[in-house]
Amino acid sequence: MSTPARRRLMRDFRKLQEDPPAGVSGAPSENNIMIWNAVIFGPADTPFEDGTFKLMIEFTEEYPNKPPNVRFISKMFHPNVYADGGICLDILQNRWSPTYDVSAILTSIQSLLDEPNPNSPANSQAAQLYQENRREYEKKVAAICEQSWQNL
Amino acid sequence: MSDSQVIMKDETCSTANGKSGSMESTKQDAEVKPFTLKKWNIVAMWSWDVDCDTCAICRVQVMDACLRCQTENKQEECVVVWGECNHSFHNCCMSLWVKQNNRCPLCQQEWMVQRIGK
Ligand SMILES: [Zn+2]
Ligand SMILES: [Zn+2]
Ligand SMILES: [Zn+2]
Repeated sequence: MSTPARRRLMRDFRKLQEDPPAGVSGAPSENNIMIWNAVIFGPADTPFEDGTFKLMIEFTEEYPNKPPNVRFISKMFHPNVYADGGICLDILQNRWSPTYDVSAILTSIQSLLDEPNPNSPANSQAAQLYQENRREYEKKVAAICEQSWQNL
Repeated sequence: MSDSQVIMKDETCSTANGKSGSMESTKQDAEVKPFTLKKWNIVAMWSWDVDCDTCAICRVQVMDACLRCQTENKQEECVVVWGECNHSFHNCCMSLWVKQNNRCPLCQQEWMVQRIGK
């Protein structure tokens, strides 16, 4: 069954293949184009370097008028990521625009990794360490980066 | 006709900065973090796919019918709408979006129709 949302997702996928942004990748799951699996590589020169983080993106038929639901499947330690992997990022909520596509979503999440907003903590421990004990924060991040490899 | 229908799950959520050339000029952004030069490559890539001939919402050329009309076989009825900001979209695509948020999705200005036609 082809709907506007599904056709838009096919276009997103084509663009992602033809013009892949650095450090992210994604593809629809084999039997459902509304559910995507994605991978974000931790940006170089950040504590997340060498991490390979899996995400799941769920779209509705209202896409692109409504944002998809995005969450980390890999364990994450980040001020703006909830324990269940949900992400607190404005463009996925109240500042969503229907002009965004999968590559814009993934590159935004990738840059959120090294630019957390400790004022809207989804993980209060991560937010506190980020502000008060950067060394300890980076240690915890290094641990989840290592874990991300084991669970590939 | 207000922002109130947009999901306001968490207004204080972290802000994606420097994602889009069009976002940086918004009023909201003035009080948000400044542009980070590090991400310039992303900005360049972004402007590539919102060239003026393509509807930035459904990603089909505005001269062709939008994805919805293609699906419903209503190619003839699909028209283009231009805003006061000079951005153009399929009228179908834009009329669905303004129900949620009456702003141009590219420049965030209040959406005012300048012209509808082919
Ligand atoms: Zn369109
Ligand atoms: Zn149409
Ligand atoms: Zn505009």
